[in-house]
Amino acid sequence: MAVMKTTRDIKGVGDPIPRADGREKVTGAVQYVADIQPRGLLHAKLLRSPHAHARLVRIDTSKAKALAGVRAVITAKDMPQLKKKAPTRAHAVLAIDRVVFAGQPVAAVAADELAIAEEALDLIEVEYQVLPVAVDPLKAMQPGAPPVAEAGTEADTSEALAHSAVALASSETKSAKAVNISQQATVKRGDVAKGFAEADHVLERTYRVPMVHQGYLEPHAVLAQWDTVGNLTLWASTQGSFNTRSEVADVLEIPENRIKVIPVECGGGFGGKIRALCEPITAELARVTNRPVRYVMTRKEELEAGMPAPQVIIKLRTGVKRDGTLLAIEADTVLDTGAFSGTVLAVSAVFLGSMYKWPAFEIRGMEVLTHKPSVAAYRAPAAPQTIFAIESHMTQIARDLGLDPIEFRMRHLIQEGDPMVNNQPWQSNGAKQVLAKVAEHPLWKGRKEWAASGGKEGRGLRGTGFALGGWLGGLQPTSATVRLNPDGSLNVLTGQVDIAGTNISLAQIAATAFGVDFDQVKITTGDTDTAPLTGLSAGSKTIYTVGSAVLKAAEDARRQTLEIAAKEMEASIHDLEIRDNKVVVKGAPDKSVTLASIGKKGNLYMSKVPPVLGTATPAFSQQAPGFCAQIARVEVDPDTGETTLHDFVVIQDVGKAINPLGVEGQMQGGAVQSLGFAMTEGLMFDDNGRLMNPSLLDYRKLTAADLPNIETIIVEVPSPSGPFGARGVGEPPIVPAPAAIANAVEDAAGVRITELPVTPERIALARAAQGTGAS
Amino acid sequence: MKKQVLNCTVNDEAVEVLVKPYTTLLDALREDLGLTGPKEGCGTGDCGACTIHLDGKPVASCLMLAMQARGRSVRTIEGLAKTGTLHPLQDAFVRHGVPQCGFCIPGVLMAAAAVLAENPKPTEQEIRYGIAGNLCRCTGYTKMLTAITEAAGAAARREG
Repeated sequence: MAVMKTTRDIKGVGDPIPRADGREKVTGAVQYVADIQPRGLLHAKLLRSPHAHARLVRIDTSKAKALAGVRAVITAKDMPQLKKKAPTRAHAVLAIDRVVFAGQPVAAVAADELAIAEEALDLIEVEYQVLPVAVDPLKAMQPGAPPVAEAGTEADTSEALAHSAVALASSETKSAKAVNISQQATVKRGDVAKGFAEADHVLERTYRVPMVHQGYLEPHAVLAQWDTVGNLTLWASTQGSFNTRSEVADVLEIPENRIKVIPVECGGGFGGKIRALCEPITAELARVTNRPVRYVMTRKEELEAGMPAPQVIIKLRTGVKRDGTLLAIEADTVLDTGAFSGTVLAVSAVFLGSMYKWPAFEIRGMEVLTHKPSVAAYRAPAAPQTIFAIESHMTQIARDLGLDPIEFRMRHLIQEGDPMVNNQPWQSNGAKQVLAKVAEHPLWKGRKEWAASGGKEGRGLRGTGFALGGWLGGLQPTSATVRLNPDGSLNVLTGQVDIAGTNISLAQIAATAFGVDFDQVKITTGDTDTAPLTGLSAGSKTIYTVGSAVLKAAEDARRQTLEIAAKEMEASIHDLEIRDNKVVVKGAPDKSVTLASIGKKGNLYMSKVPPVLGTATPAFSQQAPGFCAQIARVEVDPDTGETTLHDFVVIQDVGKAINPLGVEGQMQGGAVQSLGFAMTEGLMFDDNGRLMNPSLLDYRKLTAADLPNIETIIVEVPSPSGPFGARGVGEPPIVPAPAAIANAVEDAAGVRITELPVTPERIALARAAQGTGAS
Repeated sequence: MKKQVLNCTVNDEAVEVLVKPYTTLLDALREDLGLTGPKEGCGTGDCGACTIHLDGKPVASCLMLAMQARGRSVRTIEGLAKTGTLHPLQDAFVRHGVPQCGFCIPGVLMAAAAVLAENPKPTEQEIRYGIAGNLCRCTGYTKMLTAITEAAGAAARREG
């Protein structure tokens, strides 16, 4: 669509406007699920398996049921809808006869008080027959490993579809038959063997990234209540209310229009609140007790039994000429998906095989089931892990061959039209413009001086690193309406959950498209009974897709408004414009009708003027990839490996910053999550599949004291199809930091760390191994 | 277990409320007094979302029993400014677009207000350590630092 031209300066697209809910959020007034307290509220708790793999021999709930204040205790026997072969994690509401990860629910309680529900859990007697476990994905995929899924369970690729990241041809992704291998895909082009035979430099390394948790501050929470005729209302912390509705309807076998999902303010999602998790069991407890029931996960439950990002192991081998000419790349990617299928294999293949123009590639990907909590999306799923591998590798190749790492990349970086691994062309993108900004940045230009200043006068070893990464951008149909009110103000209605400050940007889009100031526009996120159908707030697609819908609906409303005004003033619609809340005839400013009068007539008794209601229901086919580069300046203690991050820069192509304030917030927040991946985070499981760090003391997230200010540089290479040229913003900034930090540490301390997080221990051990560290 | 009477001051008003001996201060504020501004992000004192002021000092209200507040003065985010007005910190947080999901914000603001109460002109490092007990997953802390620094400047100017 064409970029809108506005006839005068109005406050809208491009202005750094603080979000409308800021005041509610700083005063503590905004309500999250756990803040809602209906009369007669019951509290739910789940009894979870302490074992990662066990047969359920016997469950006795009689003592728990007898406890005063307990209103319901249910097990899988009470839910005939549940099937042994649960197709997804959401369907595995309560274990039937086998548990497949530690923390899997086996019974549920609703009670008058949380303390009573907790006491009831202690009174439930469960006899487990403990079974052998598959914890390490490389062992789990071997013949004879303890099986995770029930025989015949299908791979779940809905996560990939939900993100619409990229599809590999259906023949390429197939459920494999081997034990615990749930998805397998290979993409190849050219003669890889010949490439390696002709190479002057072959580099092979294995990169490892542990499971990490999305880390949203608000744990999963839901409140469920049924009415007397069998309609269910769910107040949910979700990234997609229609998706939650579909999943709950499917699991509980009730029609979708019987369920109303009210998307309550979401205290962070980052991909972890896309799929249903505790909604079906809470709804079932509400049904059997005929009372409102609230369930809020504890932080321990979140870490032990949430839906983290997969563990990823990438064995990467490259062959290049002495002058840096790329010849061949070969990769084996293993994604540890936990106990249920659900990773995004294709993203990894695209960035490994086709971010740079490799003439020959063979990328083999495998999703492996293990006895651990099953995974879900985490902001740009699979991209940070993949970019860690390829961007660590690219810098190492450049160093080995004495090439400038930016020029080396620039020579081979894709641009619009180059084929991806699936032979689809790359869409218009700003990868080269972003990379060029790295070369211009003072941190990069001053890298030699920075390095030279280290290692003396008590200073640590100093280095600089960068990495480039990106995200392809999700797509999903959506809809929006724009209504003109009797006082001339506008209401915009979507079903899109605002998890990233998108509502203010949508209001800006509507304002600019219609021709009024943004404060004339109120935007509402409706519930699933009243809002037009929309998709997930995920895949960096809210502004790109819902923004397009709001733009079109506002244009539609504007057209209707002008048609009414044209009739009234007996003017041609082409001679009209909207300014100062009036429709005026261009060049004849005294000839006008107010927006209020047009709005009023749409609601006047006996009026023949129709109400103005703009609608749009677009579907999409063209992605708008967003690229991001990050530069890190670090100082490493030569003895302990302790790493201080002195400066960090995020350079990102956002197409068009609809709201620069919100865009900067996304870039800074994404960068710090990326740094968490890089420096501190990782779920650690013991040999029995039990989580060893189930608290925020032991699962270490970065704090304000760990970080410098994050510098942001917004690059605007307009996308041909996004509203006003916008691209997805949310996901690209979580991608590059692991590689940027590993590259900076290598520059400073001379050791290449290939396993995340890049901890002081790993640095010190690597230095000791090569004889440069403390003895 | 029998309930006990808790008498204390909450946001400058005397309150009397019945609580179970095992009720945390956070739960008493949220469930019994309807002050849901303080949040429970972990329940173990690691995330800071439940930060309130007790006799002017920042504490994790999830780690205290409600009865430990007997006779003392409690301030929550709801009482940081007079009704209808914003504290300079709140105002700066709104203008700089700090809140994203918003879940950590009440705790961060109470921690920051405690920093400024003790040290009206903090250095960047003092601000960073002052809010280091408050985890935020959305913002990357940069805009928080800008807003707190600006609010400190505004407060200092007012006093000077």
